[in-house]
Amino acid sequence: MKKLKFKGIKFLIVVIIIYIFTAIFDNANYSISFNTSLKILRSILPIFAFIILLTASINYFLKPKQIIKHFGRDGGKKGTLYAILGGILSHGPMYAWYGMLSDMKSHGLRDGLIVTFIYARAVKLPLLPLMIGIFGVTFTIIINIYIVLFSVLQGIIMDRLINKESPQ
Amino acid sequence: MPSKEKHVSVKKAFLNAVNGFISILPTIIATIGLVGLFQTYITNSMLSHLFGYSDGLDILIGTLVGAISSGNGTISFVVAQGLQEQGVSLYALSAFILAWVTLSFVHLPAEASVFGIKFTTYRNIMTFITTIIIAFLTVMTLKLFS
Repeated sequence: MKKLKFKGIKFLIVVIIIYIFTAIFDNANYSISFNTSLKILRSILPIFAFIILLTASINYFLKPKQIIKHFGRDGGKKGTLYAILGGILSHGPMYAWYGMLSDMKSHGLRDGLIVTFIYARAVKLPLLPLMIGIFGVTFTIIINIYIVLFSVLQGIIMDRLINKESPQ
Repeated sequence: MPSKEKHVSVKKAFLNAVNGFISILPTIIATIGLVGLFQTYITNSMLSHLFGYSDGLDILIGTLVGAISSGNGTISFVVAQGLQEQGVSLYALSAFILAWVTLSFVHLPAEASVFGIKFTTYRNIMTFITTIIIAFLTVMTLKLFS
């Protein structure tokens, strides 16, 4: 098992300090902020459980060599397709997925696919009816096609930028 | 014995996943805390007062406002609907809803701590530019169809 190494301790300390200041100088808004945060945390707990199970499945079924093969530098269009589908189908806030992506990155997932995954998340399947209701069908189709196209483009650019700095 | 090996490896896979999740827990808790603060201090009515200039400037404002806002994607549509009723251009609204889900200043420290500052900088600059381009292209394409 990998040694536990916490990420974001300094960030957490800064946020705690902000909350302490808010509690002292603006207690009413401190309570609202704290309760809002608790509400968010409660709402995404099931997503965390799902992500842990998904990460465990990836760890179990996809060995590092396979991750490198499909999602690494020489991974082809299949990796991009999976990144788009994964982004579109993923739910919950982006930061909830950082752990899984970081884990896959340590096994060879390329940066471009992370970028594609993150941008493709802008296609929100459950929210499409709402989007159609507000902006219309044509707008919804056009913007979502552009999101997918540009998610791929961003991934390609990111890989080129990274490869340029550390060519193999 | 393959079955025993398989069992051990399932346990290991699960523990590694839990371990990986626990390691980014400070980042997640801090981000949630920050989102709570943003949702309290940056209200929707505050945001609506920022629009109403030229299309180009409104796109830029829409992108920036979407990036500093936080919360569920549903909220972005509800806010966008309110802004639309107040006459904010479709250019700005497209940029706003896209930036809401793809850019987030609140998530920047978390993203940098997990993927590194270089990755975070590249991705966010690219996403910022892309959001503006998509907003333009979407409305231009829509005009072609209507």
